Amino acid sequence: MKRRTFLKLAGIGSLSVAAGCTSRPENTLYSLVRAPHDMVTGEVRWYASVCRECPAGCGILAKAREGRAVKIEGNPYHPVNRGAICMRGQAALQGLYNPDRLMAPKIKGHDGTFKDISFEMAKGILQKKVKGAAGKAEGGIRMVTETTGETLYELFSDALGRSGALKPLVLEPFAYESLRAAHKAAFGDEALISYRMEGADFLLCFGADFLETWLSPVEYSRKFAAMHGLEEKRKGRFFHVSPVQTLTAANADLWLGCRPDTEAAVAMGLIKAALDWGRGEHLFDELKHGLSRATAAYTPEKVSEETGIAVEDFNRLSNGLLESRWPLVLPTGSANEGPNAVKADIASILLNYIINPTLSLFDFTGPQRVTTAAPRAEADQFFDTLSGRPPELLLIYNANPVYGFPPARGVEAVKAMLEKDAPFVVAFSNFMDETAAVADLIFPTRLPLEMWDEYGGKEGIYATLQPATGLLAPVPHIGDLFLEVFYSAENRPAADYKSLLMRSGMEKAGVRSEREWLMDVIRVGGSFKEKEPVKANAPQVNPDVPAMLSGPVSDSLSDYGNGAASGETRRETLAFLALPSIRFFDGRGGNRPWLCEIPDPMTKVAWNTPAILHPETAAAYKLAQEDLVEIESEWGKLHAPVYITAGIQPGVIAMPMGQGHWGYGRYADQMGTNPLILMPPHTNPESGGPICAAPVTMVKRGRRERLANTDGSRSQHGRTIALTTSIEEVTAHDANHPVKHGLTMHDAPIWMPTPEGYDKHKDFYPAHEHDGYRWAMTVDLDRCIGCGACAAACYAENNVGTVGIERMLEGREMSWLAIQRYMDDDHPERVIFLPMLCQHCDNAPCESVCPVYAPHHSKEGLNNQIYNRCIGTRFCSQNCPYKVRRFNWFSWQWPEPLNLQLNPDVTVRGKGVMEKCSFCIQRIKGAHGIAKNENRKIRDGEVVPACMQTCPTGVFTFGNLLDEKSRVRKMVEDQRAYQILSYLNTKPAVFYLKKVTQHI
Amino acid sequence: MDIRTWLKNSHTAVWQNRGTLFFTGLTAVLVLLFLYLFYAVPAASVGPEQPIPFSHRVHAGDKAISCEFCHSYVGRSAFPGMPPVEKCLYCHEYIIKNHPEIQKEHEYFNTNTPTPWAKVSYIPEHVFFKHIRHIKKGVACQECHGPVETQDRLPQRTFLMEFCITCHEERGANMGCWLSCHN
Repeated sequence: MKRRTFLKLAGIGSLSVAAGCTSRPENTLYSLVRAPHDMVTGEVRWYASVCRECPAGCGILAKAREGRAVKIEGNPYHPVNRGAICMRGQAALQGLYNPDRLMAPKIKGHDGTFKDISFEMAKGILQKKVKGAAGKAEGGIRMVTETTGETLYELFSDALGRSGALKPLVLEPFAYESLRAAHKAAFGDEALISYRMEGADFLLCFGADFLETWLSPVEYSRKFAAMHGLEEKRKGRFFHVSPVQTLTAANADLWLGCRPDTEAAVAMGLIKAALDWGRGEHLFDELKHGLSRATAAYTPEKVSEETGIAVEDFNRLSNGLLESRWPLVLPTGSANEGPNAVKADIASILLNYIINPTLSLFDFTGPQRVTTAAPRAEADQFFDTLSGRPPELLLIYNANPVYGFPPARGVEAVKAMLEKDAPFVVAFSNFMDETAAVADLIFPTRLPLEMWDEYGGKEGIYATLQPATGLLAPVPHIGDLFLEVFYSAENRPAADYKSLLMRSGMEKAGVRSEREWLMDVIRVGGSFKEKEPVKANAPQVNPDVPAMLSGPVSDSLSDYGNGAASGETRRETLAFLALPSIRFFDGRGGNRPWLCEIPDPMTKVAWNTPAILHPETAAAYKLAQEDLVEIESEWGKLHAPVYITAGIQPGVIAMPMGQGHWGYGRYADQMGTNPLILMPPHTNPESGGPICAAPVTMVKRGRRERLANTDGSRSQHGRTIALTTSIEEVTAHDANHPVKHGLTMHDAPIWMPTPEGYDKHKDFYPAHEHDGYRWAMTVDLDRCIGCGACAAACYAENNVGTVGIERMLEGREMSWLAIQRYMDDDHPERVIFLPMLCQHCDNAPCESVCPVYAPHHSKEGLNNQIYNRCIGTRFCSQNCPYKVRRFNWFSWQWPEPLNLQLNPDVTVRGKGVMEKCSFCIQRIKGAHGIAKNENRKIRDGEVVPACMQTCPTGVFTFGNLLDEKSRVRKMVEDQRAYQILSYLNTKPAVFYLKKVTQHI
Repeated sequence: MDIRTWLKNSHTAVWQNRGTLFFTGLTAVLVLLFLYLFYAVPAASVGPEQPIPFSHRVHAGDKAISCEFCHSYVGRSAFPGMPPVEKCLYCHEYIIKNHPEIQKEHEYFNTNTPTPWAKVSYIPEHVFFKHIRHIKKGVACQECHGPVETQDRLPQRTFLMEFCITCHEERGANMGCWLSCHN
């Protein structure tokens, strides 16, 4: 080609490219036919509802824009969560808009494949089946449901009753069988109670993961912060006894690792110590003597021998417990069901009773709704009866027994039973999960964010759900469907479920008219009148209960842990524990990309499932991090890469639950491993609960499988990142703590990100002038529990892309806010969590290296990233000492309809652009708008970034640093305040407050 | 060379190159025609055809209906809002109800179909323009949108950053990148 021709062609080429560069993405503006009353284009509408991602039932406010829910926040009026919500709650939107959500019913053909049919047709089939099976009691219709609200459950029961069927079975994988059995034994009532944790000054926990999944995690996170956070220079103390250092255990002042399933021995040792100390004068003689007899053997030495806890540690624990004024002892966790779990739970209740005769921290007034769930043994029996004498029709509402039961049981028995011709199985499911896949008819019904309903996580709470978003398909409400299918027009209790709900709701909430119900109940999210505090009327403790504590504790799993460290043989037995996951709960969160992408708080592994083991175990088996192992139990076999950490007992392997689905959509299918594969099919005979611990053998496979581990380093390498101070130090230097004056890492003072921080001797650039506001944040590390709710809220609010496991392994995650987890160099069990986000430095290193001036310092102190200016040199990221800038290596995908969740107030960034935390600029601008309308300045506390809004423990404070009276300014003056790497003179606007440790 | 020879030679030259000259001429004519049609024909300044030939001149000009009556969210939201079909029928239930174009409007209403208006004002996706702020400051609609009350069909227009910046500078309005327009 001639030079001239080339130039001509190049010219034409570039012209045509330039001509193609228009930004006219949408050419049509649709006008509505009728204007809805509650939608203004461009304006936000909030709908109060209830989160149904777990049985805790937190109140939520769903933020809707143009008829679609785009964000979930906690409902501040709701007594359970008071405005906060966990990461699973945030991710409910990704269930609603999941790209694998079924938009039409499916029927299984003769060849076993599913075919889409219309909702009308599906309803017709259901109607026919119901009519055919009516009036045949056990052989007719049976139903399995998840935990539902009272109204819906009553409708189910009534509808089934009309067809001569039994009540539905409530199936919940975490049904707290051992705790319920313990309550039954001690008080004669199995109801799961609440705990007034905020009133305790000493907390001892035998594995209850109350910051993750146990009963009501958001509620207990808040109460834990009230109990354990530094207040008036005092803080409560927290001991945790468990074989694995879960997130909850990592927040303890002292985690005592015990052999699996020996918690009961510790509890009994403490009962003995308390009785020996002279506590328990109030006990009846019978109980007292029974207890002394049952626990007589548990001297500290014996406890130590059984559990592996050092005698001095045990003594520290018993002294701490007995010296405290308001101690509270919590039982075992959501899925800690070893053979001794009931014993441990009974002992923990009795321990409470001995040291606190009035049981004042037990709240018996409102039993948890999850108490309605059937114990696993009952569910097992249900399915056994089913396979023996199959009913004609089996209805399954939002339950996934095929996955949730150990495969040894679930796949072989349940699935085989469901796959048989005999019952016609209808799965009311929105996803092609493992149970739906074996059903005959899959009938999607509305998800909680689209429903009218009520759900109280505890008895006495009347909380309501209302549709917060438009429908993506003409999906019916399960209640309406039941009213239509099971009732004739004459005997229908109400025209539709909403009127049924309103009728029962008006009574429960004590309102008289429909208007009142809508305005005072639905609008608030329920009826939350402050009730008269009921004096804790503790039931009498059954005097026979000590008998249940007798018998040795160590006859079961504890033997497994002993020989591992010696490493004599390769095939010796280890103990394998399945842990409930803060991210996936029982597995229902497995198909939400945010939950997969946000790493596990303890291992910092995203997407895949590691087998967690101790360095000693690893050494015995010659394993390195990420080596693939094969773990085998009597009931199954699995492969997983290992994750080595000191936060577990030697000889124990732990694995979080919730992944390893075979089905359930693109994000869950074949991702990670399901630990239930190794679990026995039978249940614990004492409690009827599923067993989540098994003896296993482990073999090293030759390969490695990389873990999507995001922590970079577990150690701070001596740098001043996440700092601690001791309670003594906080109390000692009262008003005049020493002011630092150096320039090095350890003696650099706080340099304010305002003109007052300017010093001509150290500053090259002049100070930035700020116009009225200088936004700043404080992060109280003493309150941070590392749960990651803030990170999920940030993903939701700021359209942060999820990159998937391959990109994650390349280190390309996009999280604007990540929880960093550091372990102490000398004591790796001392863990500290630190939310890391853009520090909005006043002397920002990113700003000075950008060739195109894309990071820009705004007049209110924010470090703005101008996306359309950015050319992607990535110099800024290189120069950022906090490593909070994220580069878009690709244009991340939101497969439809996941894109409907995107926040319309935030730009979706494309490939080749740098991005980072904006301090939720859209919320700052929103506050500016309101303030301008009212002709005033923004008030302190008016701007609440998404992370701060959702935090259950109140870690974050945000505000204007120029306002002398602002809360954030006051917090900056706290003696615990520091800036990360302040000696670099970046002058960050994010101030951290040191974690206060107490070594006891 | 005398003039006759020159004439003869050029004649020959023109004749010999008649093909080329014809195409050059034709191209020139076509280009001129295109330029005329594209820019100079009176209809060129008229915007895209709309599903219903709504006239801003008639409504906002002759009848002097306030902009805010139809674009009712303009003073309280980021977006001005397009009037729902039912709003058109507030009047057109009574005024020229049987006009064929108004019948189309009724058709949209009766069949519950959103009207697919062609968009005329464009703003890039990464700009978060808020009408409310400008209305509250007393900026008249015409200052940005031009004399809509004199136009039947609104011409298409893409707002560029220069347009915003010029005005913001003149009036001393917010110039922060994020604080004013981008998020």
